[in-house]
Amino acid sequence: MTTTDFAPTREQSPPSPDADDAAGQSVAGLLRPYRWSFAAVVGSQVIGAVAGLAPLLAVVELGRGLLAPRPIDHDHVWFVVIAGAVGLLVRLLFTATSSGLGHLLDGRVQLALRRHLAARLGRVPIGWFSRRRTGELTKVVGQDVSAVHPFIAHAPGELIAAFVVPVLSLVYLFAIDWRLTLITLIPVVLALAHVPLMMTPTRLREEKQFDAAMGQIADSVVEFVQGISVVKVFGGSRRAHRKFRTATDDFVGIYHRFVRGLSVIAAGMQLVLSPPFVLLTVLIGGTILITAGGLPPADLLPFLLLGLGLTAPVEALIAHSFDDLQAARRAVGRIRDVLEVAPLPEPAHPIAPQGHRVELRDVRFGYEDGREVLRGIDLTLEPGTVTAIVGPSGSGKSTLVQLLPRFFDPTHGSVTLGGVDLRDLSGRDLYRMVSFVFQDVRLLRASVADNIALAVPHADLDAVMHAARTANIHDRILDLPRGYDTVLGQEAGLSGGEAQRISLARALLAATPVLVLDEATAFADPQTEQAVRRALTALEGDRTILVIAHRLETVADADTVVMLDNGSIVEQGRPADLLAENGKFAAFWQSEEYR
Amino acid sequence: MIRMLLRVLGRDHARPVRRTVVLTTMTAIVEGLSYALLVPVLRALFGGNPADALPWLIAFGGAVAIYAMLRYVSDLFGFRAGTTLLRGMYHRLGDHLARLPLGWYGTGRVGEVSVLASQGVLETMGVIAHLLAPYISAFVTPVTIVGVMLALNWQLGLAALVAVPLVAAIQIWTGRSITAGDADRHERDTEATGRVIEFLQAQPVLRAGGRSGQRFTLLDDSLRELQRASRRTVLSVLPGMIGLTLVVQAMFTVLLVLGAYLALGGGIGVAEVLTILVLAARCADPVLSLADIGGKLRAARAELARLDAVLRTEPLPEAPEPIQPAGHGLRMESVAFRHGDRTVFDDLSLSVPEGRRLAVVGPSGAGKSTLLQLLARFHDVDAGTVRVGGVDVRAIGTEELMARIAIVFQDVYLFDGTIEDNVRLGRPEATEAELRTAASAARLDEVIERLPGGWAADVGEGGTLLSGGERQRVSIARALLKDAPIVLLDEVTSALDPVNEAAVHAGIERLMAGRTVVMVAHRMRTVQRADRIAFLDGGRIVEEGRHDELLRRGGRYADFWNASLTPAAHD
Repeated sequence: MTTTDFAPTREQSPPSPDADDAAGQSVAGLLRPYRWSFAAVVGSQVIGAVAGLAPLLAVVELGRGLLAPRPIDHDHVWFVVIAGAVGLLVRLLFTATSSGLGHLLDGRVQLALRRHLAARLGRVPIGWFSRRRTGELTKVVGQDVSAVHPFIAHAPGELIAAFVVPVLSLVYLFAIDWRLTLITLIPVVLALAHVPLMMTPTRLREEKQFDAAMGQIADSVVEFVQGISVVKVFGGSRRAHRKFRTATDDFVGIYHRFVRGLSVIAAGMQLVLSPPFVLLTVLIGGTILITAGGLPPADLLPFLLLGLGLTAPVEALIAHSFDDLQAARRAVGRIRDVLEVAPLPEPAHPIAPQGHRVELRDVRFGYEDGREVLRGIDLTLEPGTVTAIVGPSGSGKSTLVQLLPRFFDPTHGSVTLGGVDLRDLSGRDLYRMVSFVFQDVRLLRASVADNIALAVPHADLDAVMHAARTANIHDRILDLPRGYDTVLGQEAGLSGGEAQRISLARALLAATPVLVLDEATAFADPQTEQAVRRALTALEGDRTILVIAHRLETVADADTVVMLDNGSIVEQGRPADLLAENGKFAAFWQSEEYR
Repeated sequence: MIRMLLRVLGRDHARPVRRTVVLTTMTAIVEGLSYALLVPVLRALFGGNPADALPWLIAFGGAVAIYAMLRYVSDLFGFRAGTTLLRGMYHRLGDHLARLPLGWYGTGRVGEVSVLASQGVLETMGVIAHLLAPYISAFVTPVTIVGVMLALNWQLGLAALVAVPLVAAIQIWTGRSITAGDADRHERDTEATGRVIEFLQAQPVLRAGGRSGQRFTLLDDSLRELQRASRRTVLSVLPGMIGLTLVVQAMFTVLLVLGAYLALGGGIGVAEVLTILVLAARCADPVLSLADIGGKLRAARAELARLDAVLRTEPLPEAPEPIQPAGHGLRMESVAFRHGDRTVFDDLSLSVPEGRRLAVVGPSGAGKSTLLQLLARFHDVDAGTVRVGGVDVRAIGTEELMARIAIVFQDVYLFDGTIEDNVRLGRPEATEAELRTAASAARLDEVIERLPGGWAADVGEGGTLLSGGERQRVSIARALLKDAPIVLLDEVTSALDPVNEAAVHAGIERLMAGRTVVMVAHRMRTVQRADRIAFLDGGRIVEEGRHDELLRRGGRYADFWNASLTPAAHD
């Protein structure tokens, strides 16, 4: 189900340079500009970690100096101490640099990812949204991007450091005594032996159950919280509450089993990695080797000090790969899914339209395969005319008008504006020509003036007010706390009808030659009704107007009526003629006993 | 933090948490003390008598065994506490949500609570269950080790002890600055999330305005603000992190220098000084991890605070001895109601005798919908009384009250399920025949006929797969099936096309027959059929009477009526 399904009959135009930067671009590609900062973060992390070995080696050398039979070389001891202190300072500087840089880089990467996501979402076909929940997408742009944090700021540096330091330590330790080195590795080997136990099929199955149970809770929450008013009013609150309780109890049960299975293994693993256990192992090995194997006692020290650090990689693996990194990987997957959605193709060589006659030729469209909503529409909208579409609900009226602002591309046939296929028009040209007022009004949390001037950002206030007056909303705006500067949704809210009048003012201000209007909008309240009718009469000249008509008055005023039924045009002509013909159109209106 | 946790959990579930905290602390102390045994072991090994180390080594082995056992037990308890926490939290939240007034569930809140009640609880409890133990031992073990050092050599011990209050102070100071930064960040986060939602939902309009992607500055600004806020957070955390590292490393350096000085002067045995340095090295990592764990715990704390806030919201009080209402008349007596700091009603009175219809008309924002909500007790009034069947709604049991009322909302919420599920919600035990009757009375049958799957057709999340009118018919069928004596209608026929409107009207007529009805309406045609009309403005009834009476009076209602007719007359 990708957007390419919408235009299988046409060759897809080669992506323009603008479209190219995001087309199929991977998350890794987005990160490329940051690779040097990234390297700096990882590099300083590693340098800091390696410098952290200096104080430990200083203690070792101090021990050797102190344990040496000959008189103690004071200068050597102080040199060692100073070297250790310097090592600590270097470690401090580099780790702090790495951490600071890493987090700042993280912020920049997140901003870049979010911007790319926004840019992509601003170009995917509108139809793509109708199949997704807003919450899901919001989560991708918000939480999922945030979840990438450990990938950028922590994991790489820490993981590399966690491997480099032990490897260096191991080389050093091997050089001192290979037998004790092997003994020191026993805890690590024991811990690694636990890892396969964490990935058994039972575990994986439990993990799936865990996810499913969480899904159950989410489902029950929908009823319990989102639909609570309906549920309560219909006396289902006890049932919804019970359902929520059952879902949570089930979940806790599964969680219990899941964690219990894991907890014994995890406890065992953490125990063998714990410092007391590591020290005990080294000491037992050391005692045996000193007693029987001729190990100089001073050589035990490096094992006590560095041995604890050998467990770091395993611990880092546990700390990162099992929780955060898994979550981050899933998040990156979801981000990639969104970035990979094909945008509504923009033409490589946009053609400028000549005039604004709109023609639909054999247009077919379906939201999903095998269920056509429009079945071969042929229709011409002449400039300077009003075309009214009527028909029973489900006949495809809304879908038809949504093809004009290119919310969808037809699956077959073509829609042309001024002789040019909509797919060959640049987005800018298209929206300069077509505006619309649909039922589903969205106001932005911005000033009233900005809301009205959405399509004409540089419009002056006089023009905005003129549009508002025509749309019958001017007086209401003046009543708001700060008039046209009032921020909607923050300083004041508007009723449904008022919001629709703002949307009407928006279209009036845009003054595009083609206007698409859903008259159902007009039914919110008497003022809106009045506004729409006034606007329709005010729009003179040679505009092309397409309206989904609901009132006989509008239909009667239209130049052409198109009667739609089941995705096809069943009648078309002048309204008076159609009524006189006593065909389907006439029957439709009479059957609805409407005025 | 722990105090808030215990409060959120409530008395019953607090005990396992306390037990876990105690056990973890004990484990950390045993670990710290066991290291004291390293001194005799090393003394024997370094002193040229390795065989003497054996008994001490066995003792150390014993101490490690005790540590292991304690740790296992405390892990186990921790895990059990985690499960108990989780179950307890879900139950408490569930019970509480069920008792909260309907009016509390505003649009903004629903999303937040949904997340809180599903993943929020798990994440919070999980973080606490996983991080509490490491946090405690990262603090207690080093402190115990410092105690051991003090016992071995007071000078070195004292040097290490100085670090303890410094670490604690830095930890507290960082915590404060991070909390402030987090609050700021959270705010920006919410702001950005709001903009993202707006951006997604307003796509059609934005595209028409040629403002997609980066060109939509409102979104881009909020994203940039978010980045700035997170940079501020990083910069505010950095000094604390560097300070902590500096203190720990300075302590180690001091011990190294002081130890070398003392050892060279013969003031301390070699085994002691080396043990102390090994232990100091052992302390550094857990202390440094404090910053990290602390940060994660604070994040969980924010979520915990949100849970706390929900649990502290007062539920609607239930009548201890509910009274049965007599009849189905409705009455509001001198009602005052405030929403936030806005007075919606002040001294509002009205009555609807049983079986009569009242229409409420008025400009937007007059409080029409609120009036319906008070009748159904979504909120409690601040003064005066709302009576159903002569009884104060606060004295009627919630279930009893809800059983008497059917509401048809303007925005119909349908559950993700089949049409049948959604209609049956009205009365789950209804027979097949009753279901069909209700459906055909609401003219839902023609919708069902057209949909693939018929009665079993899916309506989608929130009913999005049906048109507005079709959803409305489902909700009317639901109300018809419920067959409640009182019907509340909230702008049912606004925003419908004539086909649907005609159908919905027919359904509404059947629904209203013989019942007590209060309807809020914009479409004046609907209003005409009411027995009485109340014109509401500014939270007061400014006119009341029959349709023709009010028209004759030539007041506000008459203006409204004429406004709805003018365009038609003009044509």
